[in-house]
Amino acid sequence: MFLLLPFNSLIVNLLGISLTVLFTLLLVFIIVPAIFGVSFGIRKLYMKTLLKIFAWATLRMERGAKEKNHQLYKPYTNGIIAKDPTSLEEEIKEIRKSGSNKALDTPEFELSDIFYFCRKGMETIMDDEVTKRFSAEELESWNLLSRTNYNFQYISLRLTILWGLGVLIRYCFLLPLRIALAFTGVSLLVVGTTMVGYLPNGRFKEFMSKHVHLMCYRICVRALTAIITYHDRENRPRNGGICVANHTSPIDVIILASDGYYAMVGQIHGGLMGVIQRAMVKACPHVWFERSEVKDRHLVAERLTEHVQDKSKLPILIFPEGTCINNTSVMMFKKGSFEIGATVYPVAIKYDPQFGDAFWNSSKYGMVTYLLRMMTSWAIVCSVWYLPPMTREANEDAVHFANRVKSAIARQGGLVDLLWDGGLKREKVKDTFKEEQQKLYSKMIVGNHEDRSRS
Amino acid sequence: MGSSQSMSEEVRELVSKTGFSSDQIEQLHRRFKQLSGNQLTIRKENFNNIPDLELNPIRSKIIRAFFDNRNLRKAPNGLADEINFEDFLTIMSYFRPIETNMDEEQLEHCRKEKLRFLFHMYDSDSDGRITLEEYRNVVEELLSGNPHIEKESARSIADGAMMEAASVCVGQMQPDQVYEGITFDDFLKIWQGIDIETKMHVRFLNMETIALCH
Repeated sequence: MFLLLPFNSLIVNLLGISLTVLFTLLLVFIIVPAIFGVSFGIRKLYMKTLLKIFAWATLRMERGAKEKNHQLYKPYTNGIIAKDPTSLEEEIKEIRKSGSNKALDTPEFELSDIFYFCRKGMETIMDDEVTKRFSAEELESWNLLSRTNYNFQYISLRLTILWGLGVLIRYCFLLPLRIALAFTGVSLLVVGTTMVGYLPNGRFKEFMSKHVHLMCYRICVRALTAIITYHDRENRPRNGGICVANHTSPIDVIILASDGYYAMVGQIHGGLMGVIQRAMVKACPHVWFERSEVKDRHLVAERLTEHVQDKSKLPILIFPEGTCINNTSVMMFKKGSFEIGATVYPVAIKYDPQFGDAFWNSSKYGMVTYLLRMMTSWAIVCSVWYLPPMTREANEDAVHFANRVKSAIARQGGLVDLLWDGGLKREKVKDTFKEEQQKLYSKMIVGNHEDRSRS
Repeated sequence: MGSSQSMSEEVRELVSKTGFSSDQIEQLHRRFKQLSGNQLTIRKENFNNIPDLELNPIRSKIIRAFFDNRNLRKAPNGLADEINFEDFLTIMSYFRPIETNMDEEQLEHCRKEKLRFLFHMYDSDSDGRITLEEYRNVVEELLSGNPHIEKESARSIADGAMMEAASVCVGQMQPDQVYEGITFDDFLKIWQGIDIETKMHVRFLNMETIALCH
């Protein structure tokens, strides 16, 4: 008993000292720079070191695989069949040409026309473009996270030790650190914005609000160890504009908002999110909708237009895809935000999946699980490109404009531009799409049918 | 896929039965698992998850072809409720590309099989003949999306095409002769001399993996 007492106090002392040291380090190296928006470059150094380690790990795996004479890389991600890019018309003409010696221009139905549709059907059954986009991208090298490893049998002892070390560092050191930071960031946001809300309206309030928001988002960025490279910052969105970006995860908001001051748009949630949202709106006008209002598209459009027309209000941040895509492609942009008529500032966000896959597969993981996965990855590395502003042209309709913006974003981010709706993750194809092919084909058959005389 | 011994036995069997390479079989197996939701069999409903397929006017006929007992080589008629991976591969094998090392007999066999697949698509009641009704049905399906075409026009197009087919198969008909329908032999006759093999196949990407080590 006697021996325990001094021992106990020793442990308590040690604990106390280490916590203080940790806290001071935290403050000095992370929170203070976040407040002032400067960076020591620690994260970049961290990233470089990690890259070197990954390269070494991949080399070991390749060597291991070679010894066993196995294949390591399987290039599946771009599809397994070669699809012919020829159109319906060309193909059917070709089939008919190879067949009868009838004139090519006689529009009539041939038994052979069914070939084209049959083959296309088979091709889509073997491999289709859309379902691929809703599962996480596969990596070609291993980043020491067991969740991305598909080749367990090639890991040597050294690699296993390294991996074990990695697990230790990530879960026991990085995770608590990040959780502490996240907690600090969120509570500062809530407290800060509420306090700013008590100030009288004016330039000082705006100044404080902007800096409170920025500071808290920067802390959150460090909480995720997000290493972001911003390009073309001169094109950043201005007041009275709408900022659109491709959507991969809820983290997109934090990434964009830590570099600019935006008004958010969204549905009011309950719980912690709700508390944060209500606090934020006290400091500056964000656009939050009740659940019932979300369905009413006119109301939504009205409120957005109102906000945009007031030049003193902040640029709105919108993700027109409406759902999270796995960051290899950009899917259909919903036209709602493009009908408002304001200047659109497109932003392309591309994540580097080597350090941590930011894609939120909402059917697989809930929000909390997702955040935990994010916080136990090495880092979130991404690039953000601010594209030059675009406006809708005189005789352009909203859908066309939306597609134009989408192509620009896809091109800049190196993503595949798809016409498909992200909603297909959960719903089925709309009937209007189904009928397109049939209309095209029937036009070919019937086209000059009036001229033909029947025997 | 694991590299256990028993799997490669099955794979080898499938390779000899269907003619796909083991790489292709592996990929198709992955696709099968994706379509079936990791179950051992696929049902008709599983094909509803493919958005691109919805665009196809004859999608119901294509899906039906997967469950057609004649294509599965199990019975002369009827539909199966569900198919396993081997059945899936059997259907896919109708669309295998022609190999350059095939001799005349193999080529002829291949061609016949592909045409038979198409014949089954038309001949929905499995009586061995494509009747006027069945022909009309196919044309209507292909043209169904266009609201400007009335049913009458679709029918007349089908009738016209049927008459031409009849003239090829039977020659000039007597006024009171009734044309019962296109049999498989007639079907083959229509396609004689026409190179359809190259149109009825799906090309696999070259799956040679990247050179591993330097």
